[in-house]
Amino acid sequence: MMLGQNEDSEQLAIVKKKYGFDKSIGTQYLYYLNDLSPISFHSKTEGDYTFLSQNKYAATQLFSIGNTTTVLKFPYLRESFTKQGKKVSQVLLETLPNTFVLAISAITIALFLGVFLGVISALKKDTFLDKFIQVISTLGMSVPSFFSAILFAWFFGFVLHKYTNLEMTGSLYQLDDFGEKMHIKWKNLILPALVLGIRPLAVVIQLMRNSLLEVFNQDYIRTAKAKGLSEFQIIKNHAIKNALNPVVTAISGWFASMLAGAVFVEYIFGWNGLGKEIVNALNTLDLPVIMGSVLIIALLFIIINIFVDIIYGWLDPKVKLE
Amino acid sequence: MKHLLYFSFSLLLFWSCNSTKNDNKDHLVFRYNEHKNIGSLDPAFAKDNADIWAINQLFNGLVEMNDSLKVIPSIAKKWTVSEDGLTYKFTLRNDVYFHKHSLFKKDSTRTVKAQDFEYSFNRILDPKVASSGRWVFNKVEHFKAENDSIFTINLKQPFPAFLGLLTMKYCSVVPKEIVEHYGSNFRSNPIGTGPFKFKRWEENIKLVFRKNNNYFETDAKGNQLPYLEAVAITFLPDKQSEFMQFAQGNLDFLNSLDASYQDEILTTKGELRDKYTKTVNVIKGPYLNTEYLAFFMDSEKDEINSKNLRLAINYGFDRKKMITYLRNGIGIPANGGFIPKGLPGFNKNTGFEYNPEKAKQLIEDYKTQTGNLNPEITITTTSNYLNFCEYIQRELTKIGLIVNVDVIPASTLKEGKANGKLDLFRASWVADYPDAQNYLSLFYSENFAPNGPNYTHFKDETFDTWYTQSFLESNVDERAKLYSKMDSLILKEAPIVPLYYDEVIRFTHKKVSGIGNNPINLLQLKRVKKEL
Repeated sequence: MMLGQNEDSEQLAIVKKKYGFDKSIGTQYLYYLNDLSPISFHSKTEGDYTFLSQNKYAATQLFSIGNTTTVLKFPYLRESFTKQGKKVSQVLLETLPNTFVLAISAITIALFLGVFLGVISALKKDTFLDKFIQVISTLGMSVPSFFSAILFAWFFGFVLHKYTNLEMTGSLYQLDDFGEKMHIKWKNLILPALVLGIRPLAVVIQLMRNSLLEVFNQDYIRTAKAKGLSEFQIIKNHAIKNALNPVVTAISGWFASMLAGAVFVEYIFGWNGLGKEIVNALNTLDLPVIMGSVLIIALLFIIINIFVDIIYGWLDPKVKLE
Repeated sequence: MKHLLYFSFSLLLFWSCNSTKNDNKDHLVFRYNEHKNIGSLDPAFAKDNADIWAINQLFNGLVEMNDSLKVIPSIAKKWTVSEDGLTYKFTLRNDVYFHKHSLFKKDSTRTVKAQDFEYSFNRILDPKVASSGRWVFNKVEHFKAENDSIFTINLKQPFPAFLGLLTMKYCSVVPKEIVEHYGSNFRSNPIGTGPFKFKRWEENIKLVFRKNNNYFETDAKGNQLPYLEAVAITFLPDKQSEFMQFAQGNLDFLNSLDASYQDEILTTKGELRDKYTKTVNVIKGPYLNTEYLAFFMDSEKDEINSKNLRLAINYGFDRKKMITYLRNGIGIPANGGFIPKGLPGFNKNTGFEYNPEKAKQLIEDYKTQTGNLNPEITITTTSNYLNFCEYIQRELTKIGLIVNVDVIPASTLKEGKANGKLDLFRASWVADYPDAQNYLSLFYSENFAPNGPNYTHFKDETFDTWYTQSFLESNVDERAKLYSKMDSLILKEAPIVPLYYDEVIRFTHKKVSGIGNNPINLLQLKRVKKEL
């Protein structure tokens, strides 16, 4: 894979040695774990795979026995196969922040627009407007993101390009053609964030509508009405806060999957994020990048889930952390 | 909530007004998209076209190839070849400077010396670098810088196509002090001698090169090359988005034809559609690239081992029709052998004509001989060649052969064919250097995959003898004759199904000129001009 159409046995052997593929699968696995582990063991002989090379590891030596050094280091995710000589950690570092921005924007759009539409839908229950919002939300839930992404890119970025001035593709940062300056282009965020936000938006609308309707039947709403408060005040001060609980928990759960699930959206909009990197890596069998991405996504899931549990305990006093 | 809506709306308005373009400098930048992304700018890893194109703007070698495949001087101003064909002696120019870098100390640059070539070539051979271009020096005994401007190369055996091999980007000159300073990061900090110098690379977003003001070449009128101020390469992975960007005028150049837009831009006759004729130029020419299906001859499947069936597949579909309808006429139907049109040794009579009757008869023969009444084969392909395979599938099913088509990712296909896991697969071979010997090496028995490019595991003693003989033949015509003979020998056994010989197709906007075209599909930007 790393050689062109002209590979021969000698070249293969060299590449295999460089990446440690000349060892048995079991040994390779142990080497990988050794690279990942913060505390690891390294050979002092140059040429060994585990040789403590400055290019590979950022490590502080702990102690050494015989030919083996034990070090404390930052997990080493190895080098990309296709981007010859580039570290996977570098690849992740360049792309993950962009995915983060995209996911946060999408979730924000979904939350605000969803709450807004949900409230309207609940207030105008069973009217045409409610039905319309319901249909849109169901559609949003069922349209796959790769389809809506192409649709949005084509419609807003190509057909309506004159009016919207939005591009079909583009990243958050753009380099000018002379390579002088990086510009931050917020407008490139609009379309992918919208598309990525459609599904959580649909969920938020439904949740908000149902939970608001439930809240409307509560006694304290009747009391508020009896006090003579205007409808707007009732909703603003009494209903929304209480109806928001299930929405917030649902949305934080979505956030994690959004970091991982932006793959198609990023690919189609050319957004320079982790999702696009994963597609590229899969297409070229860039295994270290795939492994690194999977590990980082797993880590994010764990962190966010812990975080959600904490938020949940804070929002709903009935739930206690033990 | 309302405030928020107003706020976002006004933001949107703000963005819409905020776009400013450097219209006055637009004619100084050449923009193209590289959907495959670029892996490295280090010449030691210049294995894909995407990498080669970018590296070609930054680096020079001893010699280069012009658009008619002739080897012409680059850093070497002249050379001599000894009578036995073993020693090549190059005399270098003394006015070639590396791109500026502070590590060069005095003047931030220095001239290229023969010793730099010695270092650069040794680097390709260094196991620690693990360059993919090591094979280029397989026939080289040793090389040496005699003094600052004389560089000699000795071969193990005469190899008439050697100069062509030296034009490959692997053989570019790199400066020792810079390479050693950056180590593996030389991939993104390249310093060479080419018409453009590296400016900035935001990976996955954009790569920018700027004009090298010290470049050593001039045009016929004595004006210094290159004309352009900058080259900007974007990395949109989706070919359809790439085309739309080209249509909007955001890209100056489009270098391939993809099923997703070919009908939008070309008629079925392969001509530009009316709405593009005013703004777009199309450049077409032969490409040393044979697209084919290959059988794995060591397969355990009876169908694959049957010569009758292999021939039947070759006779059983109409290549001409396939090119007309599936590629809008771009490409030459492969009715010849494996050597593509444009190379000495190509013979249009070696191959197969469309003959469904004969194919049907061959399949019937197979059925009666083996008693297998439902022969079945599987073609493995990547998704971009699916329509060809489906066409073949339909045609062969009509004459009694069951064909399955299996679609897998390109990288998996590459691995599968190298390890003999696939019985029948789609492949292509692009010439590394313009000599038919490069093509025929795919059938030499010592090159069995995974140790060499013989993916079909074709083995024939006569072929092997002729192959080794061809190295010793210095007469060009005699060599071409030998190549033709070898090509027809391969087709007699039919380990492959040649589909078509590709054509290079390039689209540019009318304001771009000087881009040229060549059968090895190399992008040369030093003579490109862009009007206001």
